[in-house]
Amino acid sequence: MSQTERYLLTRANIEGAHQLAVAEKNGAYEALRKVLKEGIPYSTVIDEVKKSGLRGRGGAGFSTGMKWTFMPDPAKDPRPRYLAVNADESEPGTCKDRVIMQRDPHGFVEGVLLAAYAIRAQAAYIYVRGEYRLPHDRVKAAIEEARAKNLVGKNILGSDFSCEVYMHRGGGAYICGEETGLMESLEGKRGHPRPKPPFPAMFGLWGQPTTVNNVETVFNVPFIMNRGSAWFASLGTANSKGNFLCGISGHVNKPGVYEFSFGITAKEILEQHAGGMWKGRGLKAWFPGGSSCSLLKGSDIDVVLDHDSLRARGSSLGTAAMIMIDDHTSMARVMEIISRFYDHESCGQCSQCREGTQWLSQIFRRIAHGKGKADDVATLEALAKGMAPGKTICALSDAAAIPTLSAVRLFKDELIECVTRQADPLAVPQPHYAVAGGHH
Amino acid sequence: MVKIIVNGREVEADPKKPLIKACHDNGADVPMYCYHPGLEPVGSCRICQVEVKQGDAPARVMVACRTQPAEGMVVDTESPKAHATRKECLEFLLKNHPLDCPICDKAGECDLQDFTYAEGQDAGRTNEPRRELDKRKSLGDTIVLDQERCILCSRCVRFFEEVPKQAQLTVSDLGSRSVIATFMDRPLKGKYQGNIADLCPVGALTLKKFRFQARVWNLVKMASTCGECSRGCSTTVEVLRGADVKRMRPRENEAVNKFWMCDIGRFSFDRHNRSGRLQGAAVREGVQLVPYPVEEALTRLRDELMREKSGAWILSPWLTIEEGERIKAVAERLGHAVCFVSPAPNSEKDDLLHTGDPCPNRRGLSELGIPAAPVAQALEALRGVKSAVLIGERIVELLGAGELAKVDATKTRVHLVDEYALDIPCVLSVYGVANCVERTGTWVRSRPSRHRRWARARLPS
Amino acid sequence: MALEANLVAEFDQLAKNYPEKRAIMMLALHRLQDVRGWLSPEALEDLAAYLGMEPVEVFGVASFYPMYRLRPCGQHVVSICHNISCDLRGAQDIVAAVCEATGAPLHGTSPDGKFTVTTVECAGACANAPMFDLDGVYHEDLTPEKAKQIVRSVK
Repeated sequence: MSQTERYLLTRANIEGAHQLAVAEKNGAYEALRKVLKEGIPYSTVIDEVKKSGLRGRGGAGFSTGMKWTFMPDPAKDPRPRYLAVNADESEPGTCKDRVIMQRDPHGFVEGVLLAAYAIRAQAAYIYVRGEYRLPHDRVKAAIEEARAKNLVGKNILGSDFSCEVYMHRGGGAYICGEETGLMESLEGKRGHPRPKPPFPAMFGLWGQPTTVNNVETVFNVPFIMNRGSAWFASLGTANSKGNFLCGISGHVNKPGVYEFSFGITAKEILEQHAGGMWKGRGLKAWFPGGSSCSLLKGSDIDVVLDHDSLRARGSSLGTAAMIMIDDHTSMARVMEIISRFYDHESCGQCSQCREGTQWLSQIFRRIAHGKGKADDVATLEALAKGMAPGKTICALSDAAAIPTLSAVRLFKDELIECVTRQADPLAVPQPHYAVAGGHH
Repeated sequence: MVKIIVNGREVEADPKKPLIKACHDNGADVPMYCYHPGLEPVGSCRICQVEVKQGDAPARVMVACRTQPAEGMVVDTESPKAHATRKECLEFLLKNHPLDCPICDKAGECDLQDFTYAEGQDAGRTNEPRRELDKRKSLGDTIVLDQERCILCSRCVRFFEEVPKQAQLTVSDLGSRSVIATFMDRPLKGKYQGNIADLCPVGALTLKKFRFQARVWNLVKMASTCGECSRGCSTTVEVLRGADVKRMRPRENEAVNKFWMCDIGRFSFDRHNRSGRLQGAAVREGVQLVPYPVEEALTRLRDELMREKSGAWILSPWLTIEEGERIKAVAERLGHAVCFVSPAPNSEKDDLLHTGDPCPNRRGLSELGIPAAPVAQALEALRGVKSAVLIGERIVELLGAGELAKVDATKTRVHLVDEYALDIPCVLSVYGVANCVERTGTWVRSRPSRHRRWARARLPS
Repeated sequence: MALEANLVAEFDQLAKNYPEKRAIMMLALHRLQDVRGWLSPEALEDLAAYLGMEPVEVFGVASFYPMYRLRPCGQHVVSICHNISCDLRGAQDIVAAVCEATGAPLHGTSPDGKFTVTTVECAGACANAPMFDLDGVYHEDLTPEKAKQIVRSVK
């Protein structure tokens, strides 16, 4: 399938587009100007985005327009309203929001403003992961440039629409990418996700109505408002509309962040854009959308990259972060790392997640280091089934369980062989270095 | 209130309280760790799983502490799915939990033991290395923390935030490295620390005073009331083999103390275990107090008091209203003065429980018409009569042994009814008395106004 | 000790952006760490006093987030991603190279106090793996040689 049209990275690819003058010359703030000048009501913005079929790009894929309608009617519920933008991007393999913030911060700020306009929020807080200093600084500078031009703040462009946009920083915790963990952190607390209900639209930041949207999601809104929902819906597939930023990393020749329309096959992405598998090797396994989805086999590379197709293939789109694993790689090693990640990132509230993520990590580590036990593989499966679905406050427990179950399903023989042999035949000798305090 | 169905039975539930409360109030057992009726529900332990059907939606298993009852809700606390999810949850909790039962104070009243016995599996699946943490972390004079036993329910953290309303504990670090901690290992402060040992569902937080003191199944427990201030928190007094009081714990009383008591009351049981209790009676013969048959001693005392016009009966505010009433009648018949010692308020008054009035029955005795006499006044009354009867536990402590020693034995004859003898010249007879864990009776609380009858925890020594 | 006057002024201003003062916590902790090098117990107490909170509450928050250093560290901090995309492209070799070039053990500080070396989970540089973060700056598309070179050029 050939590439239809690109819009997401067009301005981002222009030198100096993070500066207002260059950005505006290349279309930034046109949609905002139009909406405010023509007095397009917030409800129309919501309708357009709904009709466009835009789905969240942060991993969950929920209809953006529909999510916006969950906010209460301010006539009946006059509490302060907030937009929280999730720029915590920490899903393994994912490095796309960073590109937007670094290279097209004005396009991003415009998206934030339009989203805030749609939900009638008076302030937007952009929660960017603490490690992303350059993206943070670029967006912050863009906000200041925009403010100076009456594009942010009170009575934007002379309209009734006032909206403050604030930068906020995380502290390196993946769980703060979970929308309620994000809100807790923004409020200055430990990033413990909240049980739902209540949902953020009714009880969000400081208990007030809040919508949480991903960076790439809001980034799409100005394009939709400029060119119309019909245009947006013409891109992509039946239930996955528009273009998306696809990260591809791991054992490929040209890892990178690329823009595609939904409907492209993973094979085309790998071979036509990422230069194919490196070192002439074969594809053994891959994650289509970050590490919180099911692994796929090499033979699944023919799958179309969109929500429905991946679901039908037993996985999910997630953050569209493809992680490619060659046929010289140990799956025990892969799962040692993946399981260690969730153990590290669990907030610790829920019994299944706190103990389960550690337990899975301990088992995979033993298997990968030749210390597996006969019942390990069966235990992995039983534990993962106890951790999901929907048994915990948030989905991190599920995110640990899902790849585990897929690894056991697809690579059971390999894992069992590691146990039987008491060695990982595919293990790569690791370099030696001293470790302080007996850490692993 | 809404109508819901719990295990096939229609019951009324408060939609503003968690579903788990409606279950518990209606005899449906639902296990819990992080949930406590005295704290805001957080839904983190994930053990209180019940199956809920609302309207046309398919039945789902969910945590009862974060579910609000709604009209027409159908709840099954015994569904196979609910049990299966609880069983899984328990397996996760036991993964790191040390096999400390043989040496753990909590054994016998441990929610992890109890719910595992009820719902868990009977054998561990594997032998993964458990966390190695501080098993004897002193949190000050009162509490010791075993971090390995902790199941991170966070009740202790939330207690300090929500009840005395000053944070003292936190969960530090995160995930499988989470531990309960104070700031810089500073000791806990304040007089509500003991409550976290009650709250802790396992043996992670234990009282230093109770450590290794008794197996809880050997304790006989009696409902009682604390006497250390006029709040009169409902308590349970726990006695080991009819001898020492090993523990006092709060008993739930929504109107008075909810689920809590202060450490002043909690640890007051020490005094009930002192030796040297006065048994029976003793009468002064010459320079000594010698044991004397009680009946005869009382007969002699009665004769003296009936002859003597100048008499005063000075009562301890630990006396019950039953006792006060009878004594007042006797004093009036004899034409003697009667009063009770009114201790001065102390500095322990706080916004939570302690009233600062360090005696239990001021109000009860006052309502009987017995005048309250501050210590100085009571001593003056004593010095002004020829026969004085001091009655009740702690009467000597209140008046002061030193002050009593100064009383002119040639002017006043003192007869003492207390836990311990006091051998000073003015004391002519002494009678041993049962204290407030050894007899039954009624005190009247200062507020809210409720009488409280308490039962005998043990036989008098 | 108390918060530096310029930080108080900065935080007062920042607090205006939020309906509750406590919300400046994450930003305040970052700033305080930048200014003081690490978040000592005194730093946490100072911030708690400023926010009108108990030190234990601030400690509970600070200890949750890996970026906050609650132990003294070297002048420079090297954080090497060891998550999947980086591991697939040789992150372990980068760890070895950095430890060798700095003289620090992993998760420790070099004897001369110059470098603290640690590993971190996915840093969001997957398409340019392997990488490390040196004092807040990402260095990507590393080879062991490049890694050593970057370290050695730190003054």
